[in-house]
Amino acid sequence: MAAAVLLYPLWGLVAPVGPWRWHGSHIAPALATSFGLTGLALVLVVLVGTPLAWSLRAAPEPWRSVFEAIVLLSVLMPPLALGLLLILAFGPGTPLGESLLRFGVPTSNSAAAFIATQVYACFGYYLLAATAAFEGVPPELEQSGALLGLTASAVFRRITLPLARLGLATAASVAWVRALGEFGAIMVTSYYPHGMPVQLWVNLQDQGLPAVLPLLVVFLLSALPLPWAFHFFSRKRRRA
Amino acid sequence: MLDCSLTKARRDFAIDVEFSVGSSRLGLFGPSGSGKSTLLSCLAGLEIPDSGYIRWNGQSWFPPPLPLHRRSLGYLTQRERLFPHLSVAENVLFALNAAARRQQEAWVQEIQSRLGLEALWDRAPRELSGGQTRRVAMARALCRKPELVLLDEPFAGLDRPLVRELTAVIKLWQEELGFTLLAVDHDPVVLEALCPDVIAIEKGQVIQRGSWQELATRPVSPTLRGLLDKI
Repeated sequence: MAAAVLLYPLWGLVAPVGPWRWHGSHIAPALATSFGLTGLALVLVVLVGTPLAWSLRAAPEPWRSVFEAIVLLSVLMPPLALGLLLILAFGPGTPLGESLLRFGVPTSNSAAAFIATQVYACFGYYLLAATAAFEGVPPELEQSGALLGLTASAVFRRITLPLARLGLATAASVAWVRALGEFGAIMVTSYYPHGMPVQLWVNLQDQGLPAVLPLLVVFLLSALPLPWAFHFFSRKRRRA
Repeated sequence: MLDCSLTKARRDFAIDVEFSVGSSRLGLFGPSGSGKSTLLSCLAGLEIPDSGYIRWNGQSWFPPPLPLHRRSLGYLTQRERLFPHLSVAENVLFALNAAARRQQEAWVQEIQSRLGLEALWDRAPRELSGGQTRRVAMARALCRKPELVLLDEPFAGLDRPLVRELTAVIKLWQEELGFTLLAVDHDPVVLEALCPDVIAIEKGQVIQRGSWQELATRPVSPTLRGLLDKI
């Protein structure tokens, strides 16, 4: 019953909107923008967020609570508000925006702006989930590793990371979905180049639903396999 | 040679002990909560003493606290957990690199056969019973031939024949390899069989040192006498 309720909106894909317009839907460039730039954003988030989440586990109070409150603030931020704040802080005309532009990094309507917005949009989600993953690793196992002669980095590599990997995979898939579907903030900071969500909006405005639905189908079919794979892999490993 | 003199405050009393032990087996006996496990934790580096020193063969382990991975020791407790993502074989060989695995092949085979691990070698930790888990934990702790072995009631809760078997194996290996062994236990079977020398600790103080026979027949404190009577 719950599954039927969740799947019901997909019924809209067979709505009588007329023949689907594949040609001129700008599927390929939107796909390339979304996947390429979201991939880069995710790499950044994982590279920075993983060690941060690991160190957060051992951070002393009250600093840890303060930091978590800041992270929650970024997670709770409405996407449109996040975009507006980003453009007001980094955008053209701001001191930071001007400085970055002098180094050849435009802070709006650019790949850099696209990636930065996605990082802001999904970093908190990744961090919270990754911290929970690391907290699930029993400290006594890490202690056993150290008592068996492993350095701190070897303990992380051989014990902590393998035991937290399923949680980290879930964190990465949540961040991926969050970043890829980001619309409100991207609309403000990086209308160009068009990613998938913005292209959906543009197609709706310019050509109507027949140009939206093909793009939506491609979007869902291409974006979902990664989080699904993570999800099924983690369930399989838990059952094993 | 382990030389230690340390103090460590606890909620109700302070541990204040001083002792030395060479390449032999020393038992630590006393009532629950007398500071025996805390003492072993300090030696292992899991807790930091308030003052004093810990020296191992002239090398200072405290102060300053030497990182855990630089202390050549094996530490076994009754709460020992195996690495759940690794097989029994990978757990046992965990501390050995590829070269050491090749060099120690005969030793690993001896561990396997003496602890009866051949049939368990490729199993996952979740497939093991409590007794089997302790055997694997013991193999893992001793596989890299540590110079100091700390036992904190590792046989608690096991049936008597298994306790006798594991105690005999540890005793044999201590005599062969010459490591220093410190064992905390309430079980006279373990202390009598394993430790020619026993220290009695009460409220963090060493109150008696001698053979198990001496300690069992002539305890110097009423608390110790009461504890022995219960046994």
